[in-house]
This record gives sequence, structure tokens and C-alpha cells, in this order.
Amino acid sequence: MQHITKISSMIKTVLVNILEIVIGLSGGLAVGAGYVAFLTVLGIIPRLIQLTKSGRFIKIYIACVIIGSLFGVHLSFTNTTWDQSNGLLFVWGLFHGIFVGMLAAALAEVLNVFPILAKRIGVEGKLMWLLMALMFGKIIGSLFQWLIFVQ
Amino acid sequence: MEQMVYLRMKKNINMSHAKHIRLKDIAWVSTVSDLQKELEETTVYRLIKKDQDTIVIDSYLVIDRLNHVFPNLAFQLIGPEQTIIRIGQQKKQPSVFLVSVTWIILFIGTAMTIMNFHYDVSMQEVQQKLHFIMTGKENDRPLWIQIPYSFGLGIGMLLFFNHWFEKRFNEEPSPLEIEMFNYQQDLDRYATYYENKLND
Repeated sequence: MQHITKISSMIKTVLVNILEIVIGLSGGLAVGAGYVAFLTVLGIIPRLIQLTKSGRFIKIYIACVIIGSLFGVHLSFTNTTWDQSNGLLFVWGLFHGIFVGMLAAALAEVLNVFPILAKRIGVEGKLMWLLMALMFGKIIGSLFQWLIFVQ
Repeated sequence: MEQMVYLRMKKNINMSHAKHIRLKDIAWVSTVSDLQKELEETTVYRLIKKDQDTIVIDSYLVIDRLNHVFPNLAFQLIGPEQTIIRIGQQKKQPSVFLVSVTWIILFIGTAMTIMNFHYDVSMQEVQQKLHFIMTGKENDRPLWIQIPYSFGLGIGMLLFFNHWFEKRFNEEPSPLEIEMFNYQQDLDRYATYYENKLND
């Protein structure tokens, strides 16, 4: 009798585990595909390739996005520490910022507000000055939040 | 034998004020015929009161008129099929006040959106955890990651748009300039359709 309960509970655990695997895998597939689609729509990678004229290395960039995402997954699901100095944080933060900056710039560009805005107020020639407003707004807003706002 | 005249319509022209539009205003003319000068001086359109500030002249109207005036020439069109004429739209100096207001709107707007974004994605918490992973110490305000991050934001935007004020890093057009160009093309396409009398 005891055997039967044990076996049935084992079967149940196995079934639940299989279900979890299926749910986890499909969730990961959806998020991964969505994330790559998002990056593609924003066109950050083509922009970087265009700036650095390195179209030959596109496969490396693709691998980089995949490995980076998996590394991020590793970081969010583990609790290890590396015992490094603040220098690593500095470099990490800088690169993170550059990436988010490009994301934000690409979003503002996709929204198509700029050409219309510039035409309305007649500053087609000085468009870059408006752009600087965006850039300084981002830097100051971010600094303000971390240094003053969150206290 | 009929002599061939090649016409290439100009895509976009600005005129201050002109009652008569001559052929040379709206098209380039190439021909071996002796009549080139006369051709160029031919009036192809007379402005009337009803005309607003944008007029589209279809190549059909031009060729139709030229065929009547010069029956012995044959006309061949190359390039755009119509010319958009904008009248009296001299580039005026943008008002400093308007530009300043726009600048401040954009500045405060982007500052607020980035803050909302940070809250939306719980960036503070992620950075605290990252600080712990990397240094092994708890820190509620990991400024060592946050300050470089903030400057990186600006650098990333500069890289994307390829500009620092008026200076550009390489000669390729930035996505924004492409976007401006596309927008202008869309406006032109709209004008060529709706301001063209042949489409009414």
C-alpha cells in the first residue's frame, strides 16, 4: 500500500516537473523571440555596424546578443558574488548606459516626432540643437534620480 | 524631320512671386534645335488668384502647351513627372522664444521619461543586486554603477544620431536626417497628388 502511494506521488512529481519544463521552455521561447524582434525593429545593431563599418562580423554580433541574454539570465537567477572592486561597476555602468541611450534614441526616432516638430517651428537647419536637448535631458534626469530623487 | 527636345522637370522649386512661369523655371531643356532659347522663355503657366502657395505643374500640361507652340519639335520627358512650386515661402528666421520653449519641453520631457523608465524596469533594485554580485557588499545606492550609466546614456544617443551639436563623427547621414528626408518626400508626394489639377 505504502509503495503505491510512494509511486503515485513520484509520478505526480515527474508530471509536474515535465509541465514546468514545458511552461519554462515556451515562456523562454516567447520572451527570447520577442526580445530579438524588439532589438531588430529598433535597428540598434545595424546602426552600430554602419558606424563601425563591420558588416563582416554580423555573426559575431548575433552570437554576442544571445550569449549576453543568457548571461543576464544567469545573473538574475543566481546569488553568487565575485568580490571585485568598484572599477568593474564603473565600466559595467558606462556600457549599460550607452546601450540604454541607443535604445532611447532609437525609440524617439521611431516615433517620428522630430521631423514634424522641427518643421512646425522652422528649425530644420538647427535640428541637432533639439537633439542635444534630448541628450542633456536624459543625462540630467538620470543623474537627478540617482543622486537626489531616490534618497 | 522632327527634332527631339529632352525635358527634365525640376522636382521642387521655391518662387518669391512670379505671374508667369517660364519653361526654364521648372525644367532643364536639352536639344540640338536652334529654338532652345525660345523654348526656355516660353510661358507654360500663368498664376491666377485661385492658386494657393503650392502649385503642382504636371509634365502633361507642359508638353501639351509646348506641342501647340512648337509643332515641329518632338518632346521627350525624363526624370520627375511633375514640379512642385512653392510660392512666397522664403526661409524665415525661427523665433528664439519658440525654439527655447521647444528645447525646454524636450529637455524636461526626456528627463521625466527616463526617470519613469527607470522605475518601470526597477533599475535601482537590479543595480543593487548587481552591486552585491560584483563586490559582495550590500549598497542601497550603487553610485559607482549609476553615474557612469547616466553619462553612458548620453554617449549612446550621440552614437546613434552621430552628432555632437553641429559636428558629425563621420560623413554618413544620421537616422534623423534620413527621417527628415523621408518626411519631406511624403509631403511632396501628397502635394503632387492633391495639388495636381489633373487628379481632381
